[in-house]
Amino acid sequence: MASEAAGFRRTELMAICAAREIRDGDVAFIGTGLPMLGGMLAKYTTAPHCILVFESGSVDARPTRTPLSIGDPCLVPGSVMQAGLAEVFGLLLQPGYVDLGFIGAAQIDPRGNLNTTVIGPYETPKVRLPGSGGGNDIGSLAKRVVVIMKQDARKFVEHVDYVTTPGYLDGPGGRERAGLPRGGPSAVITDLGVYRFDDGTKEIVLESCHPGVSVDEVRRNVSWDLRVDRTVRTTRRPTKRELRILRTKCDPDGIFLGA
Amino acid sequence: MADRTVEAKLMPASEAVRKFIPDGCRLRSCGIGLRKPMAFVHEIMRQGRRNLVFLQSGMTEDADLLIGAGCLDKVEGSYLGLEAFGLAQCYRRSVEKGIPRKLTIEEYSNFGMTMRFMATAMGLPFMPIRSNLGSDLLRVASFRKPKAVVLDDPFGSSARVALLPACDVDVSVLHAQRCDNEGNTQLWGQLGDDVWGTLAGRRILVSVEEIVPSKVIRKDPNRTVVPGFRVDAIVPVPFGAHPYQVQGYYDVDTPFRKDYAERSATLEGWRAWADEWIYGVADHAEYVAKLGVDRIEKLRAKRVLSGQVNYGF
Repeated sequence: MASEAAGFRRTELMAICAAREIRDGDVAFIGTGLPMLGGMLAKYTTAPHCILVFESGSVDARPTRTPLSIGDPCLVPGSVMQAGLAEVFGLLLQPGYVDLGFIGAAQIDPRGNLNTTVIGPYETPKVRLPGSGGGNDIGSLAKRVVVIMKQDARKFVEHVDYVTTPGYLDGPGGRERAGLPRGGPSAVITDLGVYRFDDGTKEIVLESCHPGVSVDEVRRNVSWDLRVDRTVRTTRRPTKRELRILRTKCDPDGIFLGA
Repeated sequence: MADRTVEAKLMPASEAVRKFIPDGCRLRSCGIGLRKPMAFVHEIMRQGRRNLVFLQSGMTEDADLLIGAGCLDKVEGSYLGLEAFGLAQCYRRSVEKGIPRKLTIEEYSNFGMTMRFMATAMGLPFMPIRSNLGSDLLRVASFRKPKAVVLDDPFGSSARVALLPACDVDVSVLHAQRCDNEGNTQLWGQLGDDVWGTLAGRRILVSVEEIVPSKVIRKDPNRTVVPGFRVDAIVPVPFGAHPYQVQGYYDVDTPFRKDYAERSATLEGWRAWADEWIYGVADHAEYVAKLGVDRIEKLRAKRVLSGQVNYGF
């Protein structure tokens, strides 16, 4: 058992949880922010052979600083291939060569459907958000999808205001009925815990609470009657090594982890 | 077809905008959070273009500025935000409050927009994709009707696709590393949807960091993405993408983007920012001078040279 670290931030644990979702050898589609740190950390630790793909066109990037965005020029030197959206989406993602994709969301529902488009009615929104970007494509076509987002009761809602990215849609068979070829969310990582989806019902289930977070606190930040795994546990704490690499190699300036 | 007279193509951004970007034009920008055609964007604002339809998958400050300036009527795209710096506030004011005017949006995904550009560039009426199915991207339409058509493979496989309409583009603007004086244009680094998006344009305006002799282009033709005969205007404009990065020339100006995100949070703040950096300067050369030598030198790219390949036979 690796030694556990004493103090850490929730954002650090989220990045570490993201890294733990990447299996060695995975082709992983990476978005801006915590997924980048997770991808970098996985490469330095448990998944040295994972291939990080960025929608801007970088394949197997080896960033030497914290990439500020998917278009960061540090993703270019040292990568194995530079192409564009048509190639990474059309030739890698659509035919099924991407194992894992990370996406964020402003709202999620119990079936893992995601909204990054509007809060409120579409024509007269309360908040206009950026929209799909590549989120819909990644969520539709990657073999596994990991969602990373902050959690509160306005974000974990029974019905999202707009389905930007399909999760399991209306439940079992929903993706198949829509004609999606594969995939679906496999995990949701928030600042409070980690969730999986029930194989049968396709409903989100709380798998673990982060250290210091109770099931009650998680429930207060979900607006439906949340299912909790019978064996719900505490999220494995970061190891000293994970934290050290995250802080010194992945985000030394605290750009995404917070200063 | 572009004018083949070499001399006729070389012009400042002000002339290219005046000549080729009329009010109501369907205009494509470029760059996926990098290599944005900012010199063109600023000039479009200065000349007060109206009713433009802006077309791009990943839109950031380029679209937000044009929305704040009231230049845009419609957007067709997939993302409009300031990436790590937050939400695009002119966009929010426009959609949420109608300031300075209400924008209508037809949204697709990044892959969807790319394939729409690819259809146009290839002279096809539509393209199929396998994402978007089941989502509100296919259900909620604002001005393109139909926005998409779902089709089961007529050849009998069980695959279902969404057919997306070609994205008609009057003018594409591309900021690139270099071209020669015929407009043969080379790009490297992350390409986003720039190859298809640029070639979708009936007219193509290119701004470049530098104009190089033709023999430089002809020595490395695999790097060319737009052949010169498709290019209508060549605008040499060093630091033309600032505050965005151009691989091999300069890095992203993070404090500048952060400053924009903060100051554009209020309407007054945005106006003051735009007066300072766009309306208050005559052209891009003055903008770069205003940035100052120190700032520019700090951003300048380090030399990381590629190896060479043998094109011999």
